[in-house]
Amino acid sequence: MILDFSKLEWMHPGLLLILGAWVLPLLKGRVKRVAMLLLPAAALGVCVCLSMTPEPELVLGRVDNLSLIFSCIFSIMAFLGMVYALHVDDDVQHVTALTYAGGALGVTFAADLLTLYVFWELMAISSVLLVWQRREKSAAAAGFRYLMVHIFGGLILLAGIVLYSHENGGELAFEAMKPFAEGAGWGPALILVAFLLNAAVPPLGAWLPDAYPEATVTGAVFMTAFTTKSAVYVLIRGFAGTELLVWLGAAMAIYGVVYAVLENDTRRLLAYHIISQVGYMVCAVGIGTALAINGASAHAFAHILYKALLFMGAGAVLQVTGLRKLSEMGGLYKTMPITLWLYMIGAFAISAVPLFSGFVSKSMIVSAAGEEGRQWIFLMLTLASAGTFLHTGLKLPYYMFFGKDSGVRGKEPPVNMLVAMGLAAAACVLIGVFPGLLYQLLPNDVVYHPYTLHHVTSTLGMLGFTALGFFLLLKHLDPERKVSLDTDWFYRRGSAAFIALTQRPLVRLEASFVGEIYEFVMRRLVLGIAGLLREFDTRVVDSTAVGVGRLTQTFSQILRTGVSGNAQHYGLIMAAGVLALLALAMFVI
Amino acid sequence: MNFLERQLTDPVRFARIKRWFYVSLAAVALAEIVVLLVFHEEHHLPFESWPAFGSLYGLASCVAIIVVSKFLGKVWLMRREDYYDS
Repeated sequence: MILDFSKLEWMHPGLLLILGAWVLPLLKGRVKRVAMLLLPAAALGVCVCLSMTPEPELVLGRVDNLSLIFSCIFSIMAFLGMVYALHVDDDVQHVTALTYAGGALGVTFAADLLTLYVFWELMAISSVLLVWQRREKSAAAAGFRYLMVHIFGGLILLAGIVLYSHENGGELAFEAMKPFAEGAGWGPALILVAFLLNAAVPPLGAWLPDAYPEATVTGAVFMTAFTTKSAVYVLIRGFAGTELLVWLGAAMAIYGVVYAVLENDTRRLLAYHIISQVGYMVCAVGIGTALAINGASAHAFAHILYKALLFMGAGAVLQVTGLRKLSEMGGLYKTMPITLWLYMIGAFAISAVPLFSGFVSKSMIVSAAGEEGRQWIFLMLTLASAGTFLHTGLKLPYYMFFGKDSGVRGKEPPVNMLVAMGLAAAACVLIGVFPGLLYQLLPNDVVYHPYTLHHVTSTLGMLGFTALGFFLLLKHLDPERKVSLDTDWFYRRGSAAFIALTQRPLVRLEASFVGEIYEFVMRRLVLGIAGLLREFDTRVVDSTAVGVGRLTQTFSQILRTGVSGNAQHYGLIMAAGVLALLALAMFVI
Repeated sequence: MNFLERQLTDPVRFARIKRWFYVSLAAVALAEIVVLLVFHEEHHLPFESWPAFGSLYGLASCVAIIVVSKFLGKVWLMRREDYYDS
């Protein structure tokens, strides 16, 4: 049978995952594991079919090159994540992970703002379960904070959509917006803020390093991919060329790097590097040229793969040793060499080492900044690149796998975890060696050559001398058992400080004003009315009841005189009655 | 004992690795200058044509990031591990 691609419009890959996920709890053993892999594979299949259809259509959706590259990588990621999670016996995690991935696909194909909003919220709600399923106190608290922030972001998005629609005569189609244009109103600006919150742009991004390291080992791998990159997608769709994003993105790239220096928790360090890497994409969206948009898309694609690989590596160490702090690790290379090498491929990819995926994607963004003559942006992004290699490529593997031997001995993680890491690593190398594979998926037709001699040598020089700096300053980089303040302070400690500050006036207010009102209302009003009611009860209700009782008593006493129980009296009364009847009959008739 | 362990625990081999590291650094910096002089590839920004700009900027970035971040951490950002628990 030949598949008719034109009939695909009813098969939304996102719904395929969201609905298909509910089959998993019904299955067992090998069948279940096959289904876990089959669902994302089918979603990817639909995406590939859509890309081969001349004029693809989708219910509630829009299909073009931009939505296809993001939906393809989201499906691939869902597949890799499922391979990594095959050994986990927890249906809640599998169902929510697939729902989360389905939500991301829904956002990617959304043609109107309301559909976008529905899938946006679905992602927030499903992903929080991946945090809670770690079932630890810190995870529960972090999950609540994560949910609170995203519900807040969702409300901003909804408000923005309502205002936008109102300002544009009921228009709900999701098209490019101009938030800073004359007479644009508040709608597009609020939508932009909601998108920036999900892209983890500071100061709205503290939820990311707060929640991701608290998620389950396998859940965190899913989380690295979908929320921030779907936000990058909607930013490209709605706000390409917005100047503010150029500077926010470049600042964000450096911000993540600064926090990574201070961080001791492995997965939190990697989470700060998500912020840094997404900064490149946000910056590219702001630059907005054809090359920059291609760079943002390509970098999102490559980033999802290598960041998943890095989280898989750190997750594998957490899984087998139970350790999450760099200060407690060291010397693991002796017992976990495969994990080490696979992790290092991800580290080379994120650091943009030639022949790895980051080199062919990140350089597009930096070159786009160069072509536009943006010197400061170019320098900021290159500085952040050095920082990326410094932490993800040098500091983290040094303290995790080498460094001072902590005596901790792990073993390699389960085979399925290694296979997932192997697949992601293979993709990182494949894209790096054959960039054409990735470039053919990009939304704009732009010719770009990453492997020029100048580019390769200057990158190698930059990386090599960063490594030199690392080894020279190594003793200053020892991880410290500390936490770093971020903007989540405002809702973690700031709220407590606010309460402490307002406690005294509140107590005074309560004692004087509220107390007086209470006194007046309770004493005078309520007790007064109660007294009246009691009076009414005793006077009217009681006396009525007593009166009725007395009346009945009197009546029955009158009756009692006639009811003596004596047969002669009854006979006399009957005879008198008969006589009376006879008299009546005689006189009346 | 695997390959990596042999390289790292044996002082002679470790010294050899260190030497190769420095040699390759010098080679990369030199290559950067040579490529710039021999092949006149297209540049968009003025500092891209400075000799060994990538290498120098890499080293400067690395040092700047470590020093500035550590300074910010010490004076402002870093707190006790149980900061949020108390």
